[in-house]
Amino acid sequence: MARSSVDLLQGTLDLIVLKTLSWGPMHGFGIARWIQHTTEDVLQVEEGSLYPALYRMENRGWIRAQWALTENGRRAKYYRLTAVGRRQLVAESESWEQMSAAMAKIMSARRQPA
Amino acid sequence: MRSHDDRLPAWRRYLRFWRSNPGGDVDDELRFHLESTIDELVAGGMSREAARDVARQKFGDIDGISNTLYTLSEQRERRMNRAEWFDSIRQDLVYGLRQLRKSPAFTAVAISTLALGIGANSAIFSVVYSVLLRPLPYANADRVFTFAQQNGSGTMCCLPYGNYYVWRREATAFEVLGATTGYPPMTLTGQGDPMPVSTVVASADYWKAMFIPPALGRYYTEADDREGAPKVVVLSHAMWQNRFGADRGIIGRSIALNGSPRTVVAVAAPEYVLLPPAEKIWIPLAAPPWRLSDFKDHELRVYGLLRPGVTIGSAVRQLTQIDTRLARENPHSGYDGGVAPMSVIDYVVGPHRARLYMLLGAVALVLLIACGNIASLLLARANVRRAEMAIRGALGATRGRIVTQLLIESLLLGVGGGVLGLAVATAGMRFLVRSPANIPRLQDASLNVPVLAFTLVVAVASSIVFGLVPAVRVARLDLQQTLRDGGRESRGAAREKLRRALVVSELCVAQVLLIGAGLLIRSSIALQHVPAGFDTHNLLAIDLFLPPARYQEKARQEATFQQIEDALAAIPGVRLVGRTQVAPIHGFGWDWTAFREGSDGHDDGAVDSDMRSATPDYFNVLGLRLLRGRNFTRADVADGPKVAIISRGLAKRLYGDADPIGRRIGNGNGKDPQWREIVGVVDDMRASGLANDIPRELYMPSTQWINGVQTILVRGAVPVLSLVPAIRRTVLGVDPLLALSNVSTIDQSIDDSQAMSRFTTWLLVLLGATGLVLAAVGVYGVIAYVVAQRTHELGVRMALGASGVTVQWMVVRQGLTLAAAGVVVGMAVSLAAARALRSMTFGITAHDPITFAVVAALLAVVAVVASYVPARRATRIDPLEALRGS
Repeated sequence: MARSSVDLLQGTLDLIVLKTLSWGPMHGFGIARWIQHTTEDVLQVEEGSLYPALYRMENRGWIRAQWALTENGRRAKYYRLTAVGRRQLVAESESWEQMSAAMAKIMSARRQPA
Repeated sequence: MRSHDDRLPAWRRYLRFWRSNPGGDVDDELRFHLESTIDELVAGGMSREAARDVARQKFGDIDGISNTLYTLSEQRERRMNRAEWFDSIRQDLVYGLRQLRKSPAFTAVAISTLALGIGANSAIFSVVYSVLLRPLPYANADRVFTFAQQNGSGTMCCLPYGNYYVWRREATAFEVLGATTGYPPMTLTGQGDPMPVSTVVASADYWKAMFIPPALGRYYTEADDREGAPKVVVLSHAMWQNRFGADRGIIGRSIALNGSPRTVVAVAAPEYVLLPPAEKIWIPLAAPPWRLSDFKDHELRVYGLLRPGVTIGSAVRQLTQIDTRLARENPHSGYDGGVAPMSVIDYVVGPHRARLYMLLGAVALVLLIACGNIASLLLARANVRRAEMAIRGALGATRGRIVTQLLIESLLLGVGGGVLGLAVATAGMRFLVRSPANIPRLQDASLNVPVLAFTLVVAVASSIVFGLVPAVRVARLDLQQTLRDGGRESRGAAREKLRRALVVSELCVAQVLLIGAGLLIRSSIALQHVPAGFDTHNLLAIDLFLPPARYQEKARQEATFQQIEDALAAIPGVRLVGRTQVAPIHGFGWDWTAFREGSDGHDDGAVDSDMRSATPDYFNVLGLRLLRGRNFTRADVADGPKVAIISRGLAKRLYGDADPIGRRIGNGNGKDPQWREIVGVVDDMRASGLANDIPRELYMPSTQWINGVQTILVRGAVPVLSLVPAIRRTVLGVDPLLALSNVSTIDQSIDDSQAMSRFTTWLLVLLGATGLVLAAVGVYGVIAYVVAQRTHELGVRMALGASGVTVQWMVVRQGLTLAAAGVVVGMAVSLAAARALRSMTFGITAHDPITFAVVAALLAVVAVVASYVPARRATRIDPLEALRGS
């Protein structure tokens, strides 16, 4: 599989997970697939690295986990956003937008700095 | 019911599975992920084997990630456990409070008992802390020591000037060596009436060894501390406030002391003075050069500030070496070089240490008895709560959990008692601080942080003491049996045995307390009945000091004193007037070696004696019998033949049964003795204090041995204190610049000297009585319970014709059995514990049989009374009622 992998910063991965879970509870595998599909394989999250991020966020109280059965009857650990996580998502997406706007300005600059 | 216990029943895993087994959870989660990936790939047409490899590859380092996840989930687990633990404690607290509120009578009794017990402990600890444990205010107090000289036969508090100056030169272990010595009170004039001022002579280095920055000015230095230097003085803070109106302009001003001016250079810090009196002054030592070669008169109390890092042991070795050499070079100094160090704190409060710790121990024992009673109450209550505990156990509460719950209830009682106890402590402390015992540093006792910490520790410790046994006992009960019985007691025998054991222990501890109190009471009584050997009643002592500036010649001093005595004797109401240089009971005589002719001053013909001067009326004013020979007369003049009167004890020691009259007695050192002819023998008296041995006294006529400080003794025909104003007027009539100091009756001095021991005795009696009452309540509780349990049996007995007396005796006998057990064990314990009081007993041994017997009898009587009350109730049982009730 050819990887046009983009190295993700820790904070970015957190933001992605929070955004993913804002649609509703999801298990780790589901989160990985959703990221893969949504970004059309541009962001290839190394699937293993997703889990430490999930556990850390759980320890911080942003998300909560609960075991439940999937549609095909398997036991899976579902994560969902807590109120704290939701606030975190709002805050982080704002700063992400500011950041990407700034990046866009820099990348589209046409004059050399004085 | 939630728990942090690992050993959970299996079903609970499914209620709270996401917390119960973090390792398994991680594995399950990752397996799900891999299997889902494989399923996806297989659905896409890959073989299962190939799919497994791809899935693993896509996932990355499975082992590494698993380990990270284990760590993270363990962290989380720990945090949750902690939160849960706090939560469960909070629940227990709420539950415990509710339980205590449900039985207000029990709670009130338990908390108030504890409040008294803990409060009394805190009060006494506040005193112990303030007096004994609190750091001294001096800058380097832990490095300052004072020294005694020692030889085989005893210690001598102070050093000769000679030794001190050699130490200063040669003892490198010390940063500085300061010295002080007593001085007759100086007379302050120009500030209202002439006033005696307690005076200490202190070397300049004293201020460096015992340093606290002065409140005003600067301490004097080496330049001021030499003969001929301009005269300076340091005032104590109380002196400055009370006598100089706290005038900040005092520094540099001149004040009149003994009729000559001295410049005030400093006011010491308020906390400087630890030993009374608070009002005092310090003047420089200014030792004249000739004193530097004096290796004989022990006059200086030396304060040595050790260099940092030097141990007191090595410093003492150095001083011993120096003193050994000095003793060799100066024979007949009487000391062989032994040096004994004493820390400043020991010097200040050492004499009070044993008694204060004894009180702290006694008050702890009272609390122990109180804890026994509360444990007993808890055991009785446990019976009522059996059903509750059984149900909780059935619902899954572990034993540890139930013990924790019960201990938390105990802790609530303990802490409640502690908080209320602080009020008791405040009151108790106020009482103790006002005690007449004159203990240094007592006045500063307060509810400070160490006292609060002590209270907390005592409250928690006593909660465990009274709470643990009942809690464990309840947790051990047989679940099924209890539930089947509907929560009623079926096997209370073990519990009853435990309560009896508690009561026996209480009686035993009470006995230890009472025996201690008894020993001190008997000692006090013994001390009251010690004959002083002279008539102490209605006898006034007054110290008078003739300032050397105006009274230089001895003849002038003697003439003035005689003039004053004659004037005083003429006051109506005065029966007799006598004089000595230091009155009996008020102080010790001078240490003199007295020896018979032929002795070299170092053999058995030489004995230590106490020397006092005496006027012709001295023995008459005391009422001391003249046994042989004659009294001093006014014919025994300064330049007449040297004469002496000796006490019976000294005569016996030197001459046996032979008549000493006319023999010559020597004093001074063997080489150059001063000989006096013995003209009389007087009876012995306890001149050094009633608790001390009878000193062997050597008396000289005041004309032949005088200094400027004398004590005048006045025997009144009327109450002697009423004569004081007239006496004062008369003295000032002779010289208006004289000051009367230490005006007090001999009885008052005897009383003062016993204040501390009387105070501790009564406190111990109070504690013993409290312990006894508590133990009696314990006996009552157990016996009353027995009667309640045996109502049915007693009813049957009475129905079968048993008389009331028989039934009463049956019950009382149980109480007596408890008392007997308590007494037997208590005797053994008391025999050991009484040793601690050995230094405080007087006239009896610490194993005084009368005290032991009386206390044992007292305990038996109290046990009978305590069990008689329930016994009477037993005889009022209506047999019909009792039988129907079963």
